[in-house]
Amino acid sequence: MSVREHELALPVDRAAIEVLRAGDVVYLTGEIFATAGLPTHERLLGCIEGREAVPFEMKDGALFHLGSLNEEGADGSLRIVYMNPTTSTRFNKHMPRLIPGLGLRVTGGKGGLSAESAAAMAENGCVYLAFLGGGAQIFTASIRKVTGIGWPEMVSHYRVVRIEVERLGPLTVGIDAHGSSLYDSTAQGASARREDILAQMRAERAVAAGGSVKP
Amino acid sequence: MPITDEMIQVATRELYSRALRKVPEDAKEGLRAAMKSETSEIARRTLDLQLKSAELAERKDRFVCSDSGVPTYFVKIGSGAVLDCDLKASIRSGYEELVETIDPPILKHVTNPLTLERSHHGKEMPLVSYDFESGADYVEMICSPKALGSGRWAALELFTFPSLEEIETYVLDVAIKAGAQHCPPVVMGVGIGGSFDYCAALAKKQTLRPLGKVNPEPVLAAMEERLKTAVNALGFGPMGTGGDTTVLGVHVDYASGHGFTPVAVCFNCWINRRTSVKMWNDGRMEWGE
Ligand code: SF4
Repeated sequence: MSVREHELALPVDRAAIEVLRAGDVVYLTGEIFATAGLPTHERLLGCIEGREAVPFEMKDGALFHLGSLNEEGADGSLRIVYMNPTTSTRFNKHMPRLIPGLGLRVTGGKGGLSAESAAAMAENGCVYLAFLGGGAQIFTASIRKVTGIGWPEMVSHYRVVRIEVERLGPLTVGIDAHGSSLYDSTAQGASARREDILAQMRAERAVAAGGSVKP
Repeated sequence: MPITDEMIQVATRELYSRALRKVPEDAKEGLRAAMKSETSEIARRTLDLQLKSAELAERKDRFVCSDSGVPTYFVKIGSGAVLDCDLKASIRSGYEELVETIDPPILKHVTNPLTLERSHHGKEMPLVSYDFESGADYVEMICSPKALGSGRWAALELFTFPSLEEIETYVLDVAIKAGAQHCPPVVMGVGIGGSFDYCAALAKKQTLRPLGKVNPEPVLAAMEERLKTAVNALGFGPMGTGGDTTVLGVHVDYASGHGFTPVAVCFNCWINRRTSVKMWNDGRMEWGE
């Protein structure tokens, strides 16, 4: 089975998101939002509860779990030195509310999200895109420019950064908008195979032990 | 001529900096071999991307990953080595200098566990373990920056007089729990026996053993093969999107102990950050991976 590839422009509508299936490959062009901060996610929840204004309007957009070294130059210019995904499962608690609350069509990072997040994605028409961990140079190369740094008082990788990217990818659809998650299927597969694998190891140990007592 | 403060400082800086930029050759070789055996197309694409990422970082002399982790060092002092410095202070100075001068700068990952505040500095940072080596006339330093993904999924359990079956089942269950959160394909280090702390160190050190070297202990060599096949059969695959390659290698070491037997499991992510240097009294420095 060959892998399907898609080019997607942001912001994106629900119909274009629903075309994507778990396992497809996506390249993104347009503006994305990026942060790697747990406190940032808490704060974003505060925004949708009306405690403060969102740093950026993200409706129909992409919010990724990406850490970056970003700086504002003396002349006011913005720059990203490198960026790379962070572990999304740390935000399992926040994403089921942030997806509808911010109106996200795309989220992503590395490691996937929980079944509860996957349900929120199916309900609201959103996908999770998997980045390669340790792909800093590949992803940084797709940055066209930084168009905004939200919450600059936080440490670099906790800020919300708005970045214009060109063909950001390759990204794998880890969770699609139809409830299918590669993370759930691999985890279930692993649990299902556990007993057989243990039996196989037992058999191999028996052969090894038999071998060592033979003259 | 003794080993100087300057040599230790250079070693501290360079080891960390190099570890962030270069995937060791044996790890790249492991990824290439996996490309050939992998049956999933998505997995092959990921392996290919990992190799490209490694190559790009190396060529540009930039970081492979933005989570530069926290620095951990292992220092082994040979009985014949002559040191003309306050070793601990030299390492600390080297690290302080590194965070000020490294290009590109590193993010603030050093976390105070009580307040969750992040910076480049903190209590006990960098994390250093010391050991001695009889009959050696050098000081060896190994650096292994530990990031969230590569550090978070380690585990340790204490058993009483466990069978090999219990030990191996535990290792498999730790692998199941970690899933693909540690950016596979990983290297798994396993420590068996000793005491709580000793066992953890054994496991950690095994993650730093180069791939492709057969364990000289036949029982462990067989266990390593068995566990590698078993963990790969779980099917998480590179970056967890499915496939036959979840580990590049499983490395096991043991120490004798009482009948209470700790078993520790530790991981190194696919970029396998590790660097080493040997320093001699005559000022020679020999760098390794
Ligand atoms: S586990 Fe390794 S490759 Fe993955 S994000 Fe962390 S440091 Fe990078």
